[in-house]
Amino acid sequence: MAAKIMVEQLSFSLGGRELLHDISMEVEENIVCAVTGPSGSGKTTFLSLLNRLSEEEEGGEVCGRIRMVLDGKLADIHRHWNLSMLRRKVAMVFQNPDPLPMSIRRNIAFPLRLRGWKRGRIAERTEEVLRMAYLYDEVKGRLNTDARHLSGGQQQRLCIARALAGDPEILLLDEPTSSLDSEAAGKIETLIEELGKDRTVILVSHHEAQIKRVASRVWRMEDGKLSVVE
Amino acid sequence: MRRFTELLLVIFSWLALLVFAASFLSLFVVLLLRVRGLDTVSLFFGDTPPLDALLHGLPVFDGIYPALLGTVSVVTVAVLCAVLPGVFTGIYLAEFAGPWAHRIVNLLVDVLTGLPSIVVGLAGFSFMVLLHNLFPGAPGPCMAWSALALGFLVLPYLVRTTETALQGIPAELRRTAPALGATKVQNIFFVLLPFRAKDLLGGVILATGRAAEDTAVIMLTGVVASAPGMHSLFKQFEALPFYIYYMSSQYRDLAELQYGFGASVTLLLLCGLFFAAAFLLQSYVSFRFRGSSWLQK
Amino acid sequence: MTRLIRAAAMVTGICTIAVFFMMLIPGWPLFSHGHLLALLAGGWNPTSSQFGILPMIVGSTAIAGGALLVGTPLSLGVAFVTVIFARGRMRRILLSCVRLMSGVPTVVYGFVALIYLVPFIRSQFHSGSGFSILTSSLVLGLLISPTMIVLFVNALDGVDPRARRAAATLGATPVQRLLYLQLSEALPGLLSGVVMGLGRAMGDTFISLMLAGNSINMPGGVLESARTLTAHIALVMAVDFHSLEFQSIYLCGFVLYLFTFMLVLILRAVDHRFQRRRV
Repeated sequence: MAAKIMVEQLSFSLGGRELLHDISMEVEENIVCAVTGPSGSGKTTFLSLLNRLSEEEEGGEVCGRIRMVLDGKLADIHRHWNLSMLRRKVAMVFQNPDPLPMSIRRNIAFPLRLRGWKRGRIAERTEEVLRMAYLYDEVKGRLNTDARHLSGGQQQRLCIARALAGDPEILLLDEPTSSLDSEAAGKIETLIEELGKDRTVILVSHHEAQIKRVASRVWRMEDGKLSVVE
Repeated sequence: MRRFTELLLVIFSWLALLVFAASFLSLFVVLLLRVRGLDTVSLFFGDTPPLDALLHGLPVFDGIYPALLGTVSVVTVAVLCAVLPGVFTGIYLAEFAGPWAHRIVNLLVDVLTGLPSIVVGLAGFSFMVLLHNLFPGAPGPCMAWSALALGFLVLPYLVRTTETALQGIPAELRRTAPALGATKVQNIFFVLLPFRAKDLLGGVILATGRAAEDTAVIMLTGVVASAPGMHSLFKQFEALPFYIYYMSSQYRDLAELQYGFGASVTLLLLCGLFFAAAFLLQSYVSFRFRGSSWLQK
Repeated sequence: MTRLIRAAAMVTGICTIAVFFMMLIPGWPLFSHGHLLALLAGGWNPTSSQFGILPMIVGSTAIAGGALLVGTPLSLGVAFVTVIFARGRMRRILLSCVRLMSGVPTVVYGFVALIYLVPFIRSQFHSGSGFSILTSSLVLGLLISPTMIVLFVNALDGVDPRARRAAATLGATPVQRLLYLQLSEALPGLLSGVVMGLGRAMGDTFISLMLAGNSINMPGGVLESARTLTAHIALVMAVDFHSLEFQSIYLCGFVLYLFTFMLVLILRAVDHRFQRRRV
């Protein structure tokens, strides 16, 4: 299968401390793969380098290269993509759901309006992604209510729906179910499996069972170094 | 449409910064240019030999030294008067006030913060007159009254600084001393306040800076254009801000105008120093999040 | 010691209330002499026993309003640049400079503007002497800007960092984050900043005293001279102490005190209203 993401000798340090050491790995397309490992080992940092979210904070130094095939072309994400465009292609969902302080509808519309989409198209897409995230039926009557009123599991599915709105080629999930109860987690795991069929999903997780269930490739991160497990 | 609005915002913001920076730069440039060639010694001491003025108290008639001395004196006394009530009120608000007391005192301190300085000066003036009517021997306009009124003016700065400083202390630190047997008061004075000493000092210096620049309060309570002799608490006095104001309408020739600029630069430097020192000391604990790591969970 | 602390707080509170009475009591003869309405709504003409302070109220409002018109956009713009473009060191330097600017004494602004701005305005607009509402508003707007900038930046920075991160992750540029997220979320803080700027502008004495001309007539336009409540107090101090004319300054003080009180309540209402918005 074709490679989608190529990380070559990636090192990252912040404030003098080296957080990631010489990481090299390749990820194919249409796959769910997982990164596991002890707390503080650098998993989240690694993810944040893939969508360059690390650059929102001052002082980080990156060595090595990250290349991705986006829009059909292979390119170095530091040289050939600007932050805003990259993040449309590489979406991310965090451990604690972070709905924007607005209605459900406007949460999903937010990334689309940034791209200049028109109202009608946004409305269609909203329903589409809410269905994809198995959330539509639960919220269809109250799309204009504040997203913060939803339950934890619903908020997380909303965040996933929102991340999917722009049809990203790569999806980064940072422990998406650890703040949820098992039922909600189960729903999201099913969703993740689905998503892996037509895009690249990188999942950071502690749940061995979860990883076994959804991921086809597993890496282990320890002290900023990556090693293949499966 | 979106792109256009965003572009407009960027242009507008940079323009604003440009205007802002240009205005202040021109202010400073003007001041610098106008004090060129000004003889510092005669600016401060006029015709009186400086050493005589400094050591022997010989009156200075044409210089701003009395005004500088007056400002420094009145501000020192003012802050000395205000420190205790201000810090204690701050302690009260942070540690002792019950819900109703807190609301009332808080409201009153807010009002005091917002009161125009001339209203404070006017109140000081009225009080002085009232006292004079009741006790004919009471002092008229003098440095003491100005110091009291100025102290009252800057009181809220001290209150808020103390209150904020105490509120920002983490819970674990608060529990240490009481766990060892200290009373609440002992905890405050031996642990909490010293922990925040920098912020408190910063607050005091900030209050000093504010007091130094104020003109309205002192104008109504004791400052005059000319008081060349030795300063005393119960005499009228000169001060830099009033000198500048007075000079702005009373200058007779370019030389006097230049003295006005000289006084302006002196006062600017004085206040600038106070404010800079205060900001260096205060750690600026905002109640808000300080925009640090986004990578944390 | 606890008693001392409580006493200090009481003293502070009592003194603040005392100020109010220090306006009311000496001014009482005037309050009872003329109808309050006539005093507040009438013109100022001491020779014909008219002690109305309406021209001063209009003057204060006009100059403070003008200062806000000048200062608010200026401060917002600088705040925007700080939040959008300045990072780390640059931002600290910028904010430090702004904070330092708030230490420039009012009389110094007035003095420099008097010598330079007044003749400039006079020559640019061929009506008037250069002492006008416009001149005062321009300088006052600049004067209140540093404080407002710091307040605006705090408000914008105070927006939930997780929401800002979410917006960034979705591809929003810093400008877009400001426009579509921070502005609406920070609105209460921004409004508070404006209200505080208003308070500062209304309470200022020397800018208007030195630059606005102090005419006792009702101002007819921005290029005309005007007198503020604060300047009036300063000017009338020189008059015979026992006259009703003198006591008009207590009325001014009274109005200013009430105005301050109102502003404090408005600020609290703004805070309160917007607290309810939070989930």
